[in-house]
Amino acid sequence: MKKIIKNPMSLAGLIIILIIGVLAIFAGYLSPFDPNYINIDAILLSPNEFHWMGTDALGRDVFSRMLHGAQISLLVGIVAVGISTFIGIILGSLAGYYRGIADTIIMRLVDVMLSIPSFFLILAVIAFLTPSIWNIMIVIGLTSWMGVTRLVRAEFLSLKERDFVLAAQTLGASDFRIILTHLLPNSLGPIIVSTVLGVASAVLVESGLSFLGLGVQAPTASWGNILTDGKEYIQFAWWLSLFPGLAILITVLGYNLLGEGLRDNFDQNT
Amino acid sequence: MHKFLALIFLSLVVGCNNSQNLDNTNYDDPIPPESGGVLTNAMIGEPNNLIAMIAGDSASSAIAGQIFNALLKYDQNLGFEGDLADSWTISDDYKKITFNLKQDIKWADDKPFTCEDVLFTWKKVTDPDTRTPYGSDYQLVSSASCANNHIFIAEYDEPYAPALETWASLHILPEHLLKNENINDTYFSLNPTGTNFYALDEWTTGQQVKLKTNPNSVHGRPLLEKKITRIIPDLSSQFMELIAGNIDLMNINPIQYSRVFPSRSELNDKINLYKEMGNGYTYFGFNLKKKPFDDLNIRKAISYAINKEEIINGVLLGLGEEITSPYKPGTYWENKSINKISFDVSKSRELLEKSGYQLNANNIYEKDGKPLAFEILTNQNKQREMTAVLIQRRLQDIGIDVSIRVIEWASFVNRFIKTGEFEAVVLGWSLSLDPDQYSIWHSSQDGPGQFNFIGYNNPRVDTLLENGRKELKNEKRKQIYDEFSKIIYDEQPIIYLYAGYGLTAIHKKIKGVKKITPPAGVFHNDYEWYIPKKFRRNEMSL
Repeated sequence: MKKIIKNPMSLAGLIIILIIGVLAIFAGYLSPFDPNYINIDAILLSPNEFHWMGTDALGRDVFSRMLHGAQISLLVGIVAVGISTFIGIILGSLAGYYRGIADTIIMRLVDVMLSIPSFFLILAVIAFLTPSIWNIMIVIGLTSWMGVTRLVRAEFLSLKERDFVLAAQTLGASDFRIILTHLLPNSLGPIIVSTVLGVASAVLVESGLSFLGLGVQAPTASWGNILTDGKEYIQFAWWLSLFPGLAILITVLGYNLLGEGLRDNFDQNT
Repeated sequence: MHKFLALIFLSLVVGCNNSQNLDNTNYDDPIPPESGGVLTNAMIGEPNNLIAMIAGDSASSAIAGQIFNALLKYDQNLGFEGDLADSWTISDDYKKITFNLKQDIKWADDKPFTCEDVLFTWKKVTDPDTRTPYGSDYQLVSSASCANNHIFIAEYDEPYAPALETWASLHILPEHLLKNENINDTYFSLNPTGTNFYALDEWTTGQQVKLKTNPNSVHGRPLLEKKITRIIPDLSSQFMELIAGNIDLMNINPIQYSRVFPSRSELNDKINLYKEMGNGYTYFGFNLKKKPFDDLNIRKAISYAINKEEIINGVLLGLGEEITSPYKPGTYWENKSINKISFDVSKSRELLEKSGYQLNANNIYEKDGKPLAFEILTNQNKQREMTAVLIQRRLQDIGIDVSIRVIEWASFVNRFIKTGEFEAVVLGWSLSLDPDQYSIWHSSQDGPGQFNFIGYNNPRVDTLLENGRKELKNEKRKQIYDEFSKIIYDEQPIIYLYAGYGLTAIHKKIKGVKKITPPAGVFHNDYEWYIPKKFRRNEMSL
């Protein structure tokens, strides 16, 4: 933790993530309006003292929608990456620890999955499902585990040859125990880095899907669909494009800064 | 290198100066017509086939309409006038129409136009091997023949009231170029030869379609020398191109019309806005084959709970009208005696309770433990999506749990509409000029892929629609369709929401556009439009 604070990059990232996290968690208390409250007498108002980020084409308060949108974006980012990390760790452990046929099958599967452009794969799958926030999380999670798998496998391959692992094997520890208590804790650094960076890309994918109308459905607010609403009025209602665009930019930047900072720390350690 | 940079700089400066000059131009001075000039407009999609009977999409029809003629066309007051036909007569029993075709007409390739071309086109549109959705109208013609080179006769077994309309929408194709071709898949569809004002000059896929005047045009030479239609798939980009002066006209949305233009006076100096009744209406439709929409009380309750005025003000910024029949407001076929169902929450609750629904602990109506909940489907159309959100809010207020799902058009039609797997939809129909509504409301038309996909079935309406097609006297027809409109409104199988205005922005350098738009629309006299020499831009080479 000290190292994170000492590294200005990761510190900046951490602060950004914390601020956005707090805003998202307390969105219900911080929003001045109900995010879905329609007021057709206040259509497309520019930012003012009541509506800090203006209103949209149905007179809804953009600031309140942005706060609730933050919940969606972060939730999708964290849960999706949770799923992909979980799958990645299991498959990576199996491949890296047991090698042989398991390794071959899993790595070829990784190659196949990586050869398909992931956004198009997600688009194709989402098109066949009801576009709900849960489906989006699951689909993003199920299509982005390959990086973690490769990482865990590589870590395991090098750790497996180390003396403490051999010692544990000699003492008769079970494979499960060796993986869980000896190998995984020692590969945690790279996994955390990849998880943090993964959240950034999941936030982007969710925004992209919502932008294309395949993400969170109306009237639920998400940064992506506020941005789509803004696209139509970009010459006139700049606030509808600027604020969600900035929010996505800053959030992704925050996760990337933290991830890169952490990576620097782990690299120095090794 | 320095010279090169200087050249770029110079051209930028010159470019800026030019646009400065153009911006200061006074476009309002009257200037007499001058032929020549290039009109540039834009469309969202690229045409896929310029044989309109095969294509079926609006982009293709818009281009094909400039190249081909039908036998008849609409005049500015929406009556019929000759297009390729000079005149026509209808027999006393209404079963035979004789068209006297114009003489000495040539196709763009200098071959003569004759009755054989009309007969050939009719044979093609009715040929089961031709992949066209429009065949059924022409299959009602029991025999078609040519009395000589200039007289075409169409005979029907029974009087068919929309017959003239069908002959005004069938583009006549050249027999000499197509007789040995497979019409479904011919190069002609990308390189057509017609008889109308324009002929294809150049088609750059994904970029633009360029038309040039057809020297053999049946109606003489139009004033505009060329028309370029650029393919710009995004309406916001089109609008930016309009403001930048790179396109001369486009359809705009209500926000642009009533917010952007009033706030930017420099736009009003160079662009005119036109407002006319649009060609379509938006409705909220139920799948009548599914519960609870088979219950008239539920449909009426929903209708009372929706505030249509709010939708028109919110979605269209007031630029639309409420309708009570599928006909253009203010036209002959509209039934003006229908009393509107207006927003009334207490009536809505009363009807729900009459059908046995009670509010539960979550403030949602339920019956037999089943909450009143359904999903509204619509396609990716911002206005429809906003309409669905407003409906959802109102229904939520009274205690109906509604979710919204927005789907891309192709999967919307194929996965939900054609299979009948939907509960409620926000969609649109066009406001047709002929009152015939057979294909939408007749119970025989509810098969997969047919237009009565909501499953409406009322024997009286079936009879009215059948009689309406056979009746050629307008007064009697009006009675039939008035009754039809009233039954549909009373039964609320769909809730009419609004008919939006068509909003068009046209650059002021285009002269000859009628100030007062005739019923046939602002584009009706586009062959008389012209761009004075001093306003012409250098043609862009793309």
